[in-house]
Formats: sequence, C-alpha cells, structure tokens
Amino acid sequence: MKMNLLRLALKNIRSRRTRSWLTILGVLVGVTAVVALLSIGTGVQEAVLQQFEDIGYDIIVIAPMGAAGRARDLTAGSMAGAASGAMGAGRFGATATQPHDEASSTTGGIFSPENLGRESSEDDASTGPASPIGEALARAVGSSLDTDLLLTRVPQLIEAGTLGTQIAAIDTGETSGFLRVSTPSVEFLESFPSVLGGFEIASGSSFTSESENQVVVGARSAETLHLAVGDSLSIGGVSFTVVGILEPADQASEEAQGDGALSGQGLTQSLGSGGSASLVLRGLTNTDDSLFVLNERAADVLGGRTTLGVTITRVEAGASISDTVDAINVAIAQQEASGTPISIQEVADEIQGTLSLIETVLASIAAVALIVGGVGLMNTMYTAVLERTREIGILKSVGARDGQVMTLFLIDSGLMGLIGGVLGLVLGSVLSLFGTRLLGPSLGVGSFSPVIDAGLIGSVLAFSFVLGALSGAWPAWRASRLNPVDALAAE
Amino acid sequence: MLALIDVHKTYEMGETKVHALRGVTLELPPGRFTVIMGHSGSGKSTLMHLAGCLDIPTVGHVQYAGLDLTTMSSRARADFRYSDVGFVFQKYNLVGNLTALENVALPLLLRGEASRQAHARAAEALDLVGLQDRATHRPAKLSGGEQQRVAIARALINDPTMLLADEPTGNLDTATGEHILDLLRGLTSEEKIVLVVTHNPEIAETADLLVHLRDGRIASHQVQGAGR
Repeated sequence: MKMNLLRLALKNIRSRRTRSWLTILGVLVGVTAVVALLSIGTGVQEAVLQQFEDIGYDIIVIAPMGAAGRARDLTAGSMAGAASGAMGAGRFGATATQPHDEASSTTGGIFSPENLGRESSEDDASTGPASPIGEALARAVGSSLDTDLLLTRVPQLIEAGTLGTQIAAIDTGETSGFLRVSTPSVEFLESFPSVLGGFEIASGSSFTSESENQVVVGARSAETLHLAVGDSLSIGGVSFTVVGILEPADQASEEAQGDGALSGQGLTQSLGSGGSASLVLRGLTNTDDSLFVLNERAADVLGGRTTLGVTITRVEAGASISDTVDAINVAIAQQEASGTPISIQEVADEIQGTLSLIETVLASIAAVALIVGGVGLMNTMYTAVLERTREIGILKSVGARDGQVMTLFLIDSGLMGLIGGVLGLVLGSVLSLFGTRLLGPSLGVGSFSPVIDAGLIGSVLAFSFVLGALSGAWPAWRASRLNPVDALAAE
Repeated sequence: MLALIDVHKTYEMGETKVHALRGVTLELPPGRFTVIMGHSGSGKSTLMHLAGCLDIPTVGHVQYAGLDLTTMSSRARADFRYSDVGFVFQKYNLVGNLTALENVALPLLLRGEASRQAHARAAEALDLVGLQDRATHRPAKLSGGEQQRVAIARALINDPTMLLADEPTGNLDTATGEHILDLLRGLTSEEKIVLVVTHNPEIAETADLLVHLRDGRIASHQVQGAGR
C-alpha cells in the first residue's frame, strides 16, 4: 500500500514541478550547510587526533615548571587560530647575525628565542597566553630531571629522554650571532627521534661520542652558516666539530613554516609529515634552523643553561596515564626538581573537547537554515492542502480513509524533505571537498579531507525525511479531517 | 435495499441554519433506475450524499442490508464507500495529474491493491465504458463525455452495490448525455441500486422510480413506465 501512496505522491510532486523544486531548494540549502560544516568539522577533528596518534597517547611530556597549568590556555589559544606561533614558532631567524626582531614577537612561541632573550615582564606583555611554555622556560631555574632516577621511581615509564634548548652565541669565523641549540639526550635520540620530525642524517653521521664536542646541524642552518661536515665552529665559546647535516624537514612542514607567522601552522598541519607532526612537541625543535648538541655534552661544556629541558616519557602499555602522572609528580618532588607532566592524552582530550564545541556551535547555526527550510516546506504543504481540497474530497468519495489521506500527504512532504536531503548531501559533500581545499592552507591544515561517513549520511537522510514529514504533519492532519462533502464542493 | 428513515440534515452557515432535508423517508430498491428531481436547493444532492455514506444526517437513519450507516465510525463509512458505493459527479471529479487508467485504479491503489492488478482491473473497467484506447490520457486531454465515462468506470471498479450520480449529464451535450444514461440504466440489470439526481425532466421520463423533492421534503413519489 505504501508503495502505491509513494507513487501517487511522486506524481503529485512532479505535476507541481516549480513549487516542489523551490520547496526542495529550501531544505537543500539547510542540509548542504549542515553536511558541509559537520564533515569539515569532523575532518579537522580526525586530522588533529591523527597527529596525537602519531605522537602516541602513551607519551607524557614533562614540561619545565608551571607550564602545564596553562596548557588549557595553550590549547584554547591554538584553536582560535591565533596561536600560530605558540606551537610552531620555535624558528629562529636563520641569519645568525640577526637576533630577535621586535615585530615578530607578537607571534609568541614556545621556544622562540624572543622569549628566551627577554626580560620576563616584557614577556608577559607581549606574548600573552599563546606562549606559556616559553614564558615558563624563561623563568625556569634548575629544573634538571634525572631521567634514570625517574624511570626507577616511576615503574610505569618504559622510556624517558630529555630535550633541552638554549640560545647560544655562535661563531663560525665568517658569521657570528645567536642561534638556538637543541640538546637531546642519547636516550631521547634513541627513543623519540620522531619528536624531532625525524632525525635523518643527510651527510656525515649522527653523534658518535659523548665525550667529544660534536654538533649536528639542521639543513637551513648549514646553508646559511656555510657549514659542512668536518667544519668547526664555536658555540658559547667552546669549539665543536660538525659531524652531520640533517635532511631538510619535509615539504609539508616547509610550506607551513613559510606562511607560519599567522597561519596556525602547529595545530593541524601536515598530516603527511612522516608521523612526526607534533602539536605539543613541534615547538621543542625545528630541525632545519637548529644546531644539535648532545645534552650530556652540553651540560658539561655549555653550562647550566641547558637545564631548560623538556623530558619526554613513554608509559607502559596498559598503565593508567593519570596514575603515572601522579607518580611522576611525586618523583619530581623527590628529586627536588621542577616540572609539570602533561599527558598527550590530556591535551588531546582538551583539544577534542574544544573542537567538538566549535563544531556543535557551527552545526547549530546551520540547523537554523534547515529549520527555515522546514518552515518553507510547511508553507507549501499548507497551501497544497488548500489547493487540493477537492482532490481530497475525491479520494474520500472513492473510499480513502482519513489515515490514508494523511499518509499520502505525509509521504508527499517527507519525500520532498528526503529529495532535499539527498541533494543537500551531495552538494554539501562537494562543498566540503572544495572547502577543505580552500580552507586547508589558510587554517594551516594542509591536506585533510572531510569525513562523510555512513552515520552522517544515514542521519542526514533520516532527519530530512522526518523534517519533511513533521513539517507536513499539521497540513496533512487538516487534510485528513476535511468533510468530504465540503471538500468536494471546493473549487 | 437502501432505506432513509425520517432523515433531517441541517447545515450551519455562520449564524444561519440551512435545513437541507426536513424529514425524508425513502426506499431505494436494487435493479431500479431511480431519479430524484428538484430545483437547486431542494436537498437532492444532500440526499445523495447521505445515501452514499459521504455524510451523516443530523437526525434520522440510513440503513443498508441491516446496517445503520449513521452510527458507523468515519473509518467504517470510508470502508463502506469503498466496497459498496460508486459516485459519479457533474464535474467528473477526476484527479488531474493521473491518467484515465490511474484515475480508475485510484480506489484500488489507495487500498493497497498491487499496482499491476489494479491497473489490469482498471483496464477492464475502461473497456466496459468503451475507453480502452484513451487509458493513458490525462483528464485535460479528454472530452466531457469521455471524462464522465472514466468517472463511471472508476465508480464501477469495485463492483459496488449502488451507483449514485449527481447531474451526470449536466455538462454534456444531448447525444453524449444519452449515452451516459444508457450506461447507467444498463447497470440495473445487474441488480444494482442506481440513483440519478437531476433537474432534467427528460431523464425523469425514463425513470422506474421518480421522486420529487421540494424544500427538503418529498413532494411526490411515483413508480412509472415499465416499473417492474
């Protein structure tokens, strides 16, 4: 029976072509907006979560003191898109002779040299919430953690490594100035090379000895400083020998860095960057512009400033992250060191929460368009009932029950809703594909794709049919209640 | 036998009450060509609606085969119209966006009969009224006489026990009208109740049973002609 009614409804929709299409258009616009926003939103979420997955949810970062307290600001700030620098601005002006640039300080940056080189009061004023870790670093004192001791005290941890960073006076003989020097520990290089975006040697070798003054140079630094394997340079007044030059960071990172100043490069960029893209950790290093000295060596010859280190730890599979964080806190206190453990899990949750909220707000706005479409549908169906009064009389005179008349009208409006839903789904999908292409670069989200899954498709179709049917419910009910004699008398 | 027993029907038109029927008692026997005559406003259309279960009387009863149609639910009355009543109207009342065949099949389609079967039966009914070659035309492409024949085919699709026609020839020329009336009159041989409401005296002449209505009351009631 429903098939017959469906066919009758379809004939009716076709016979009132213009009106039907205009009605469908109203629904279509709403569905398109909802589909595009939801699929793009979910796409962004998945892209971000993928990055966390690449880092690993089993990672706990122990940031220098106090930083974690502001991790929330950090995530929120990044979301707003203003925090381009916060995540990734660890980039040091590659020209060693050019110290920091006042104008660029607004970009903030976790490990940006601006923060390090500056008085803390000025820091507060200029960097804002976007650079909490950098700020904390600037104030940090003697927070050196003994990672071996940490691993003993916190049995849930299976690996730990330290990555320090400092700004040091560089002199190659040709040029001199200040550059950032990253100081990974041996354990760090062994366990967490991906955090550095891949520590791939282009020429020469990695560190071969902990007792010699060896330096590995990032690709861009090597170029600007005209360094080759075997050259020596002075770091902080101590002579080091270049043992290796790194591969340049991949194309995706390059692009993002190119327009990185305001483009939120850190947040969601470069899914394709070899699994190294690291929301929290990106700021720790930027291999292209950095020099690398083993942490152990740096502590010996460069002095106390290397203590501005971040410790990265990996939690044993199955262990509770929050328990481990607690245990780390205890261990830090026992060592009388400072530092705040932040689990990747925690940061991911924070960011996902924010993303979900934004997605919900956007979808709610889109839903208004959908409701307007529904009202248009209701208007059409109401007019249709007035127009088709005599037809309703005819249906009743040949024996249609009230319920059948109502069903016929419900299918009619539900079908228009559904057609609008299907077309909106298609158009919304196309839009979101273009949307991600267009928005990707400006959001710094390079290559992410919208997520249009079965759940979204199913619920959009079901929802648009129900919206159509609901909008038609009252008109349909009126139609079914018409007195057949009165209906037949209508013109 | 369809019986109307002391039937009153009052419509409320805003403040005023219109008494369409004021106590009509009438029996409509099967196999007779019954004609109801009357001026407009005499209540003849109302009488037909009540007889066909399209409306219920304000006072009084309509009975058919021991059933009291006036106390039935709206749903049961719809079912009764479906199975027992065929209506033919002056304005044909076909659905404009359906073909002749689909119009004839409409009652069956609404009731969930398989589309193929419904269309086969509709084709037979169209055959009966001589319109098999117009099956795919929409009403707008059919002449008045053809439209009315489609309407008759639709009324007959379910082999009803009564066929009720309200001015079936009102919009047709004389020759076409004659053809339609012959169709209707022919149904009496199948022992159907055939009721035609008209103010055309020529139709009245051919009636087996002629009823005159005036101001909602029966003015005269006569068995005439061959009246079996």
